[in-house]
Amino acid sequence: MKYFNLFSSVLITKGASRVLISDLERNVSELQSLDLYNLTEDLKLNSIEDVIKEYDRDSKEIINEYIDFLLENEYGFISHNDWDNSFNPLSFDYDSADVINNLFLELDNFSVLHKIRCAMDTIDIRYLVIYSIRQLSKEELEEIDFIFENTSLEGIEIYCPYHDQMNDSFISGLSDQSQRIYKLVLYNCDNITFSTNENLKFSLEYTKDHITIKNCGIVDLKYFNTNNTKIFESKNYNSCLFKKIGIDIEGNIKNCPLMPDHFGNIGNTSLEKVLEMAGFKKYWNLTKDHIAICKDCEFRYICTDCRAFTEKTHQNKDGLDTSKPLKCGYDPYTGEWSEWSTNPLKEKAMKYYDFKIDK
Amino acid sequence: MILILSANNDFTTNEVIKWLHIFDKKYIRVHEFELFEIKVIDKKILLKSQRNSFYIDDINSVWFRRGGIKFNRLQFQNESVNKIMNETQFCLEDYVIKKLESKRHINKQSNNRTNKLLILEKAVAVGLDVPSYFLADNTDHINLGKTITKSISENIIVKSAFDDFDGILYTSIVDKQEDEVFFPTFFQEKIEKEFEIRCFYLNGKVWSCAIFSQNDEQTKIDNRIYNYGKPNRNVRYTLPPEIHHKICILMTELDYNCGSIDFIKSVDGKFYFLEVNPVGQFLGISDICNYTLEKEIADYL
Repeated sequence: MKYFNLFSSVLITKGASRVLISDLERNVSELQSLDLYNLTEDLKLNSIEDVIKEYDRDSKEIINEYIDFLLENEYGFISHNDWDNSFNPLSFDYDSADVINNLFLELDNFSVLHKIRCAMDTIDIRYLVIYSIRQLSKEELEEIDFIFENTSLEGIEIYCPYHDQMNDSFISGLSDQSQRIYKLVLYNCDNITFSTNENLKFSLEYTKDHITIKNCGIVDLKYFNTNNTKIFESKNYNSCLFKKIGIDIEGNIKNCPLMPDHFGNIGNTSLEKVLEMAGFKKYWNLTKDHIAICKDCEFRYICTDCRAFTEKTHQNKDGLDTSKPLKCGYDPYTGEWSEWSTNPLKEKAMKYYDFKIDK
Repeated sequence: MILILSANNDFTTNEVIKWLHIFDKKYIRVHEFELFEIKVIDKKILLKSQRNSFYIDDINSVWFRRGGIKFNRLQFQNESVNKIMNETQFCLEDYVIKKLESKRHINKQSNNRTNKLLILEKAVAVGLDVPSYFLADNTDHINLGKTITKSISENIIVKSAFDDFDGILYTSIVDKQEDEVFFPTFFQEKIEKEFEIRCFYLNGKVWSCAIFSQNDEQTKIDNRIYNYGKPNRNVRYTLPPEIHHKICILMTELDYNCGSIDFIKSVDGKFYFLEVNPVGQFLGISDICNYTLEKEIADYL
């Protein structure tokens, strides 16, 4: 007798109408039918011969094709006489050596950066994302990097408006000086005054558009990510808000700067204190398995959640908003994507958040 | 206080240190080119370099990762004085290193060089299956196509072997006769493998990962010749208890309490021991199998 063993690094997520097969080693996901899912479940309980026996002649061929597909893609292997139980299931525990993984800062005044630097003496922050509403000089950009010298901060991502002093020497000089900046995004950038093929320490992006922080929260295929960290995190915690802290333009400390609840101001409290406050982490453990509609979606572990903009239709017994993210146009029951901003069902929620409705 | 002896910028060390922060454990990190002076203050031995200064009494545990404690030897003009001072300095240095190694530790500076030949003999002695091997300076008695050859030493990187590249001594199959006699070389029976197993050992615990390199011509003989397009499968695996037990005996005999161990599971179901590396890389299997070994190390220190 032959037995099919699914590799533990292959995760099959069942949705309402399809399944998503995520390959955690090759960092790719693919959509498949529910029939394939049922077959893999059956192969967990019965030998290949016994599974095939259950089907009529025509279906047998399809079953064999499915098994070939699983083997060709190296989603599993065959063992003889029994399943090979020396292969243990993968643990989906998520354990990371940081207190805050991501701090989002809407920057105006540099004194906030020094406050964050002080907080880092007691809490480990891994990444800093800065959205600046005003133009930044080369010296200011270098200062941002320099403030975090000799700290455990690993990377800085900066979004700031383009200005015409941003030439080759500006950009390459910044690259020489910076240690931690790994991404620089210039917005309001109509014509570029720098070459883009330079060998830089950070990735450089630019756009004509005026980016505001309200652009965040869009759910789309292009933002999906198949990797261990992402999937382990989404299986256990909220895929957007876990270990995240935000400081808005007024200095209000929030889980995400776009959410209404705030927990004091950076001017008169510390990040350490805020982290201990009741309610600050209330969304950290809300997984996609407990969010309306998302819980039936095959993409739920590779997608990034949004609690700042939702359809505002569901609430759980603890008062948490468990509605589907507003900016998601996917319907897991039909398997179809549509433009979220033109969906009539979302009009009410969009009015609430003051989004423009395209008709 | 934890003492970490490592290479500057060693990524693995950084990952372990992140956990030390979370556990609120204090540590001193020593880089590979740091030179120490032995000083005595209030009858206590103090080690001092440009970056660090600490009493050896304050060290509770030591992680020997790379490099080690190196000393600044004083030279004296008078040859006889130099000779005796050299010996005196050696005694003190030896005392300091042995003293540090007597504390809670992960591996030892004095025992960091592996000897493939001695390790294989010990592996056979503890009852592990080892593919038959021998040294030879010619290919006269070699079963072509069924024999592999690999480096005797642990260093497999040949600096600037080619104009712009370093060479790497990969394991390879011997498929043709050589006419001439050559330097004594290591030959070993090629085992038809089902998959390979990479284990990480720490103080009696073993974490294993099965590597399916067999389906791929490129990685069949040496999985370090990485296929980026279609990576090998690396999945959690548990060795049979008797193999686990023999690993523990072998590591104790070798006086390593931490290291990476390689096996082959052959098509006939046997587990063949290949080698041990006390300072091997383990973050790869830690990430892929979600073992968080860096946390285990930080916890042990």
